[in-house]
Amino acid sequence: MKINVKLVGAFRVDRFREEVREYRAGTSVREVIDGLQLSEQILGFALINGIHAEFEAILQDGDSLTILPVLDGG
Amino acid sequence: MKFATTDPATNPSAVFYKQCTIDLQTGEMSFSDVPCRNLEDVLGGFGRSFQDLAQRQIDSAYCDENPLIVNTGLLTGSTAMTGMRTYFSGYSPIKGSKVGLPAAMWSTGSGKFGAKFKWTGLDELIFENRSAQPVYVVIKESAVGPQVQLKSADHLLGLSTHDKIMSLQKDYPDAHFAAIGPAGENWQNNYMGAVALSTENQLKSKEDKCRFAGRGGMGSLMGYKNILALVAQSSDKQAKPSELVKAANRNVIEGGGSARIQPISRGGGGGTWAAYDVLQEFHAVPVNNFRPQGNAIPEKLFRENVEKEYDIKSEACYRCGITCHNNVSEKNADGSKGEFLAKFDYEPLNLLGTNVGIHDAGQAARLIQLGDNYGMDAISLGVTISYALAYNERHPEKPILNGAFFGDFEKICELIVQAGKGELPEIGKGSMRLSEKLGETSYAYHVKGLEIAAYQPESNPGYAWAIAGGHMSMGTYGLLTREGKSDLDSWVQGITEDKLHIVGFDMIGLCKFFDIAKGIGTQMVVDCLKSEFDFDVSTDDLRAAVRRAFLRGLALELRQGYSKEEFRVPAEVYEDPNPNIKLPNITSPEFLEQLEKRVWGIFEPELEGLLD
Ligand code: SF4
Repeated sequence: MKINVKLVGAFRVDRFREEVREYRAGTSVREVIDGLQLSEQILGFALINGIHAEFEAILQDGDSLTILPVLDGG
Repeated sequence: MKFATTDPATNPSAVFYKQCTIDLQTGEMSFSDVPCRNLEDVLGGFGRSFQDLAQRQIDSAYCDENPLIVNTGLLTGSTAMTGMRTYFSGYSPIKGSKVGLPAAMWSTGSGKFGAKFKWTGLDELIFENRSAQPVYVVIKESAVGPQVQLKSADHLLGLSTHDKIMSLQKDYPDAHFAAIGPAGENWQNNYMGAVALSTENQLKSKEDKCRFAGRGGMGSLMGYKNILALVAQSSDKQAKPSELVKAANRNVIEGGGSARIQPISRGGGGGTWAAYDVLQEFHAVPVNNFRPQGNAIPEKLFRENVEKEYDIKSEACYRCGITCHNNVSEKNADGSKGEFLAKFDYEPLNLLGTNVGIHDAGQAARLIQLGDNYGMDAISLGVTISYALAYNERHPEKPILNGAFFGDFEKICELIVQAGKGELPEIGKGSMRLSEKLGETSYAYHVKGLEIAAYQPESNPGYAWAIAGGHMSMGTYGLLTREGKSDLDSWVQGITEDKLHIVGFDMIGLCKFFDIAKGIGTQMVVDCLKSEFDFDVSTDDLRAAVRRAFLRGLALELRQGYSKEEFRVPAEVYEDPNPNIKLPNITSPEFLEQLEKRVWGIFEPELEGLLD
């Protein structure tokens, strides 16, 4: 299935900003994160089609997945 | 401090802090070892100062009875990472209720001044009355205990925050400094004066890399008292950390609590600046006075775009591994580092950048630097200017001040300089007063008279219950954006329990980045207290003390005349909702009404007797 993956902030460094990527059916958000080797240390949250989602959520073909670093203070 | 107990929660009066009270009018000083009233006193910071402020009925910030209290926290100057904080407390010139009474306030900053102050042997300095002449105050250690001297400061008058520090460094090469700028000196017309705190980096490089205790106009109160600077002269006393503290410090660095703040090169998120990227996902980066336009304009100040043209270096306070300062300098033609410009933290960058229509990093840096040099709180300054620019946008035929509009760099510079010199009270006195004078209050982005931080109020109705500035005394700014919580129950729980604990850091002497999500009621802090002072304190004791201190702040607000209606985000947010923000609406009048009812229902019964 095709998933539009968007990375935010430091996750873009040496990766990409937005890309349509191919995954097998039943892939979870966590598997995408692991596959991209995103740092757990700064992993914040994920949005599926703009809505907050659990890392264990299963993606559907055509979903747009955004992965963001933590937001803490300023 | 002196400790005659290992159980400060049940036996606080066996802990004594060294206090010096100075009557600035007569020059008289008295030193005493004061027994603590409760665990809040032991922890220090605003936990202690607010109890003292509560004992005074103050009707105007600029009166002799309003003290300026300078103190530290229990872990300031300790081996615990980030233990650098100094606190400045008093009744605020800028934050006040609609009936005209000033609110109790504290502000805090890092740098090394706090540790040096603590190492003189003094824990608290209370300034009473005001000096007839400009003075600076030297606090130094001696064989017989801390000594305090008042000295003429005529030679410091009119200097910038940085220049004052540089001038004093020549006379006190082994000291650290806290200084106000011209804004604080011109306290009559500038209520947002900040206190600059020197860093090791600043004293070595001679570049203006201070940290600031900015919020609430404590620099203006210091200016009113005619104190231009404080000098803390002591030898460095930081011991080697114990195994317990080492483990806690390692956890601070590796445990994730400070991860986003650390440099990207170390696998961190790159400082508070990274909030730009996250909030832009929701079109929730403040633009042109908190009206995001649903476009990509904030991206111009993303780090990835700025670093193409500027040199960015991650630096830190003395012995802090978090390294949260992003210091931006010009880049020379050969790629080497040029002139230092400013540090890019999220708040000043947004509020003196995107939110005033400035999208060029170099221009934003100049505005931040100007505000810092004149010694003003970047948040109050930026938000009051953005209000004036919004007014002019709405009234192009009859603009106010110098007729500046969003993005007009030269004219915004002019506003900052004039405000800093005390020549522009319209800006210097903050957005509440300006908006009331102009009769257009709905888009003045303050809550309870204090300008809000760079988080859209649409994402944070919790601003209403922050007791000392919107983001650092109520940690709800990420509850919707980060945690995705838009239901009433989560917001009630967040405001009345989980997120108020952020203020614990403003008692104990640590930066919030020590563990911003969990507060100070953690095993890490318990371990540090055991190791440093042999204290047996539980996480529950700590949480209870923080809650009492927070509620005391709330009770003090009510005593200073705030009505419940003043505990609300700016009216534009619910009267004219911004369709561009991609977040669930949690600031409708109905939601706010329910939230207010339930939050007060929990807080109110607990406020009884707290100020007795
Ligand atoms: S977290 Fe930042 S401000 Fe706090 S002590 Fe460390 S470097 Fe300084």
